[in-house]
Amino acid sequence: MKLAVTVWGNRISPVFDAARTLLVAEIENKKISRQFYTSFDPQSPADMVNVLKKNQVNLLVCGAISNTFADLIADHDIQLISFVTGNTRQFLDSFAGSRTVKKIHMMPGFNHRR
Amino acid sequence: MIEQKKMFGPLTPEATQVILESISDGVFTIDYNWEITSFNRAAEEITGICRKEAIGRHCWEVFRSNMCESECALKKTMEEGRPYVSTSAYIINSSRKKIPISVSTSLLIDKNNDVIGGVEIFRDHSLVEQLRKELSASFQVEDIVSNSNTMKKIFNILPQVSHSDATVLIEGETGTGKELLARAIHNMGPRKNRPFMAINCGALPDTLLESELFGYKKGAFTHAAKDKPGKFSLAEGGTVFLDEIGDTSPAFQVSLLRVLQEHEFTPLGGLEKEKTDVRIIAASNKDLSELMASDQFRQDLYYRINVVKLFLPPLRRRMEDVPLLVERFISKMNLRQAKLIQGIDQAVLAVLMSHSFPGNIRELENIIEHAFVLCQDGTITCEHLPGFLAGKPVSPGDTRADPVKNAQINLIADALARNNYNRNAAAKELGIHKSTLFRRIKKLGIKL
Repeated sequence: MKLAVTVWGNRISPVFDAARTLLVAEIENKKISRQFYTSFDPQSPADMVNVLKKNQVNLLVCGAISNTFADLIADHDIQLISFVTGNTRQFLDSFAGSRTVKKIHMMPGFNHRR
Repeated sequence: MIEQKKMFGPLTPEATQVILESISDGVFTIDYNWEITSFNRAAEEITGICRKEAIGRHCWEVFRSNMCESECALKKTMEEGRPYVSTSAYIINSSRKKIPISVSTSLLIDKNNDVIGGVEIFRDHSLVEQLRKELSASFQVEDIVSNSNTMKKIFNILPQVSHSDATVLIEGETGTGKELLARAIHNMGPRKNRPFMAINCGALPDTLLESELFGYKKGAFTHAAKDKPGKFSLAEGGTVFLDEIGDTSPAFQVSLLRVLQEHEFTPLGGLEKEKTDVRIIAASNKDLSELMASDQFRQDLYYRINVVKLFLPPLRRRMEDVPLLVERFISKMNLRQAKLIQGIDQAVLAVLMSHSFPGNIRELENIIEHAFVLCQDGTITCEHLPGFLAGKPVSPGDTRADPVKNAQINLIADALARNNYNRNAAAKELGIHKSTLFRRIKKLGIKL
């Protein structure tokens, strides 16, 4: 499984719409097998979708995201887990093992929206 | 004096709390770890996050603004020690809604003048933004938008038309949005949860049209291997939209009249009549009364379908809608094609305003779609337009560079042409006094 996380330093970006860096990671046997960073510009939705498609990402993890972008991602058959927060490394390790989002990685006001 | 002291003396912590809770601006404070230490009622309302959840969390997890990552005003205030006032930004609330805000920040200083953190004040501008949009726009019903008075008149009667069960006749040139209007009538009425079936009567020969509308029974003709229901059965309880009804043959008109009169039909090859409960909306790009006068359309059918008649004006008669429609098509295509085209430049608008749009709104949509293929991002310019339009250069000195002036010229010139250059008749059609028309012809330099 390939997932992408919008990152800001060592944290998950608070707002997808303003994020600039994507961490693409592959999960194999409940572990992160390989990962790399790539830049992207959500203000150019075509580029953003291209980056995700080119890297065969099937799950996008991000912080807060507006409806416009959430709909665009859903239109391209990419699963979305939004309103996620915290340290990227910790989140990835935890998610690779359990495939669930722990409460400490949910933003306040989170209403179990995917 | 004592009274004044009570009113203006130093505020107690309780009084400060009351004030903070009463104001409509969101306010939160943070400590040096960027963790929220207080969060007022308005902040709860604007962000959709309750105070209990917000306090102790990092401000970017709660505030979720486009500024957090790179342009944090609070960070600048903390680093530079000076306030920032009214920076425009947006936040994303828990319902994924983008909320436009203005932000002011300052240092949080205690009674000993020690800096203990920062304070951020933010104002929700959603209402202002909404009012701005309402002021700049337009009437909208379902998927139809317009600034034109003619369309406004149609929009005004649409709720009543939708809620009646009367047959509707929509007339208008090709590409004016007749099917869109028919769908709007269906969607606004009591049949909205039932099917809407559209058929272009002009595109099919009689036998095919009858089998499409009435269906057929097994064995009705060589390849009829099983029963097939027609649109009247499939749309039961809903609406059947008969487009280009003026192009049907006299024989088909007789069959249709029977359905309208008796609310029943016989499928091809069938022996028994079937009841139907559908609303009929018919449309034509021809003037049916003229067809009737020349015996090309049955009088009895005309009066049966002409219960409510709506006329959609061609785009050249409502050129004020061109900028609005362009904006609409760009938003739609941006979403569909995952692009972020900003709009069209002034020269493109001038070219569009000088075009007569024989294909009406459909033609305008095709022009924008063509431009989308060539324009990757930014603004659509003349070089992105189709060849037949791109060959219309517009210099700054040209009257076409002024879209409003150009629209006025087109409107008057068209009215004059339609009325054989009879100025009195043209003025009457335009709804202005003939002396006003003379004055405008002179002012706009229209050559007769």
